[in-house]
Amino acid sequence: MGVISTDSPDSAAAATARPAMARVPLARTVVFGAVALLLFLLVVLPFGWVLNNSFHDDITGAWTLGNYTRIFQSVDLLEPLFNSLLLAVATAVIAVGIGVPLAWLVSRTDLPFRRTIRVLTMTAFVTPSFIGATGWILLAAPNSGWLNALWRSLAGAEAGPLLNIYSMTGAIFICGIYTVPYSFTMVSSALDEMAVELEDAAATLGSGTLRTMLSITIPLVTPAVIASFILSFIQGLTLFGVPAFLLTPTGIPVVTTKLAEFYQLFPPEIYMAAAYCMPLLLVTAMLFWMRRRILGRKQFITISGKSRAGRRIALGAARWPAFGAALLLPLVSVFLPYAALLLVSLTRAWGQGLSWENLSLHWYWWALFGNSETHTAIVNSLLFSTFAATLCVMLGTVVAYIVERRMVFGASLFGAVTTVPIIIPGIVMSVGFFAAYTRAPLNLYGTPLLLVAAFAATFLPIAYAHGGSILKGIGPELERAARSLGAGEGRTFLSITIPLMGGGLLSGWFLVFIPIIRELSVAVFLITPKTNVMTTLIYNAKDGGNYEAVCAMSVLLLLITLALVAAAGPLTRLTTVRRTSRKSGRKTAPAEGVLPT
Amino acid sequence: MSGIRIKNLRKSFGTYTALHGIDLQVPNGTLLALLGPSGCGKSTTLQLLAGFEAPTEGEIWADDVLLSSARGVLPPEKRGISLVFQNYAVWPHKTVAENVAFGLAIRRLPKAEIAERLDRTLRTVRLEALRDRYPSELSGGQQQRVALARALAVEPRILLLDEPLSNLDAHLREEMRFEIRQVHDLLGLTTVYVTHDQSEALVTADRIAVMKSGHLQQLGSPEDIFERPSNAFVATFIGANNELAGTSEGNGAIRVGGHVLTAPDRSGAAHGGTVSLCVRPSQVRLFGADQAPDAEGCNVLSGTVQRSAYLGEYRDVLVDLGSGRTLRAFIPPAQSFAPGSVVTALLPIGSCQILGPAA
Repeated sequence: MGVISTDSPDSAAAATARPAMARVPLARTVVFGAVALLLFLLVVLPFGWVLNNSFHDDITGAWTLGNYTRIFQSVDLLEPLFNSLLLAVATAVIAVGIGVPLAWLVSRTDLPFRRTIRVLTMTAFVTPSFIGATGWILLAAPNSGWLNALWRSLAGAEAGPLLNIYSMTGAIFICGIYTVPYSFTMVSSALDEMAVELEDAAATLGSGTLRTMLSITIPLVTPAVIASFILSFIQGLTLFGVPAFLLTPTGIPVVTTKLAEFYQLFPPEIYMAAAYCMPLLLVTAMLFWMRRRILGRKQFITISGKSRAGRRIALGAARWPAFGAALLLPLVSVFLPYAALLLVSLTRAWGQGLSWENLSLHWYWWALFGNSETHTAIVNSLLFSTFAATLCVMLGTVVAYIVERRMVFGASLFGAVTTVPIIIPGIVMSVGFFAAYTRAPLNLYGTPLLLVAAFAATFLPIAYAHGGSILKGIGPELERAARSLGAGEGRTFLSITIPLMGGGLLSGWFLVFIPIIRELSVAVFLITPKTNVMTTLIYNAKDGGNYEAVCAMSVLLLLITLALVAAAGPLTRLTTVRRTSRKSGRKTAPAEGVLPT
Repeated sequence: MSGIRIKNLRKSFGTYTALHGIDLQVPNGTLLALLGPSGCGKSTTLQLLAGFEAPTEGEIWADDVLLSSARGVLPPEKRGISLVFQNYAVWPHKTVAENVAFGLAIRRLPKAEIAERLDRTLRTVRLEALRDRYPSELSGGQQQRVALARALAVEPRILLLDEPLSNLDAHLREEMRFEIRQVHDLLGLTTVYVTHDQSEALVTADRIAVMKSGHLQQLGSPEDIFERPSNAFVATFIGANNELAGTSEGNGAIRVGGHVLTAPDRSGAAHGGTVSLCVRPSQVRLFGADQAPDAEGCNVLSGTVQRSAYLGEYRDVLVDLGSGRTLRAFIPPAQSFAPGSVVTALLPIGSCQILGPAA
């Protein structure tokens, strides 16, 4: 029962008495110290180095503002900025223009096969856009693309190509269709969460369907629409893979590909690259600030497959035409590119055309077992993602706990630092980790640790926000009860909080693992042949011309991702069910007055 | 003196002061009810006792151990104080037995002793049959008993109950009141019971501390609180009460509008000070205009009946005294007055008290 103070309460000394046990426990110091150190290493240090480097000259290493003035004086450096903005605006317009009507159709109307459309849109969601771009290169490259070949066979051999994916239009198209799922998800969950009663109340007051939609439904989802526009804009601005695949070959630079170019120069202009990150960071920071203003603290939308129970708007004769239109997105983002990738990956040599003799699983065997490079990349991808997701969820959860329960003075600073990576585009993260960890005393270049750390840092905000939202659902008195029974802070966290988070933690792990395994831009400057991952291997192999192998790797990555997405739901549910009510069918003692559960 | 001693306890949250210096003693083995409306500071007092908040000023002692002062707080797990929460806080991922045994496992007791104490505690709260159930399979009352059992199993030196019955339905609430009192009598634990329900406090407590706006209004036995309230707030908060505001005329007299009424004066107010005449509705007698009652030893007021409600055992009559004053009277059901009829109200002087406003 602690140390007994022997002060008499009535003595003069009692006036300034201090309970003898008010010391800070050692364990607490160690945990907070470790969290602070990790946050420093994962967030503060890389960002600090980028900032520091941006003020240094690449050749002399001296302090300078020259890098920044160069950005605004050189057309070479201004043009990518304008191209990036164009790509971002166009992406956002497409994403919202398609995503919002699609969300309305799926959430609010009697569209046929709504669930299927939802699932297909989710499939587009988890498809890395650079793999979609690879598929579309097969479909719409100016000469060899299948759709162009088909066009020529219809219009005559002398007709020019119908489509050219290697263009700004092509890049906008790809970025757009793979960003639609973001706006779709945000708006459809806003529609799903909206209480049916709000619309019913309008109906009982004599408002018709259209009137209700205009004066109730649309105003209520407007914040979600604006927020999804901002998010899509950021996607278009910060994507690296798609422009690298589609724009670099034709010499159209954007900010992200220009950054990669600085690293490929000889000697590389790494300090210049750091400065060139800043306009990008400035814009994303501003946009996230706006989004926060609009959405409040609700930063992430949980993906749920639940559909609304209320009445649906009857589309009538427009039902099937609407279904056809709703299928367009899955057609261009899933069916066509997947089919192209699958077919090419299954041919021994693509040039020989489609025939039974040419079909084989050769490239899969080759990728998995035959080639040490691809084999290593696959193993690395799985290992790094597992470790990174675990580290990310552990750290994110602990920080969320410290912040949510205000365990220490300045806890919100921990939260703020943990959220910073959300404004840092993947490619900038890569620049930051390269800057911070390719020098003494922490030279991690070439080690798996560097990639694991970079991945974990990038997705830390997701793990943190997810952990926070679970913790909000767990009343602090469940923990206080344990404290009052004699459990310390650590014991309480481990035996009460963690089990109660249960399935939520697992779903958080998947929520982080899936984007990590498909992440390209963060890894791009950090890999070495030994620490290559699947995404960077695909990225680097695309110029080699071995399209069959690239496609086989892409299909493998897609399969892994889709399998994980499919497994996440049931696994999470399994752990969640176990913690609430166990089968009451099992031998339970007959009890008086048990309420039905 | 042993037991809980709270000395000049103050607690501020920013600019808001939840407690303005409370002094309280809870002798060992007694059950103290902290009673007051929401926002009175009773829950803050409990959180300070449990060690989840640090006081801004003042001290909390348990026997000879200083638990809390502005300079530091003994963490909750080291206080030997069990807390039962308003919403039970029963862990949904543990069975009844696991919930109850948690505190015993923390104390690293031998297995046999854990089993023995678990059985004994479950028997005390009559939960033996439900030991392997999960909380989601229990009713609210059963969950409440799990929470109580969990708190008792560790044999705390102090038990805190935070509105333990407020989430139960009325019928169960009445039953559990007696059960809590029974458990207290059985174990003799020093107990602090927070509630906003006066009848809960009257039934369960040895002593009641009435609080309002962060000030202690009165500390006393249930009889003290009901029969000798220290001020008009306490009188009105406990049981039904009429409170006629006026000014002191000194010498046990109060001016209410045009009348000067007399009553035992417990306000301590000087001549002209703000005081109230308090009288329970059950003590007020009403007579029709045609009757000539014996007004010996009574204050006499007259008014018109505003409304009358038949409640079976009595009639609840509201009399309009004019100038915005009203008087409630519980009269025998055989007696009846139509709204609008003129009545004379007799207030026996011995049942009236002149009281000051709340602290």
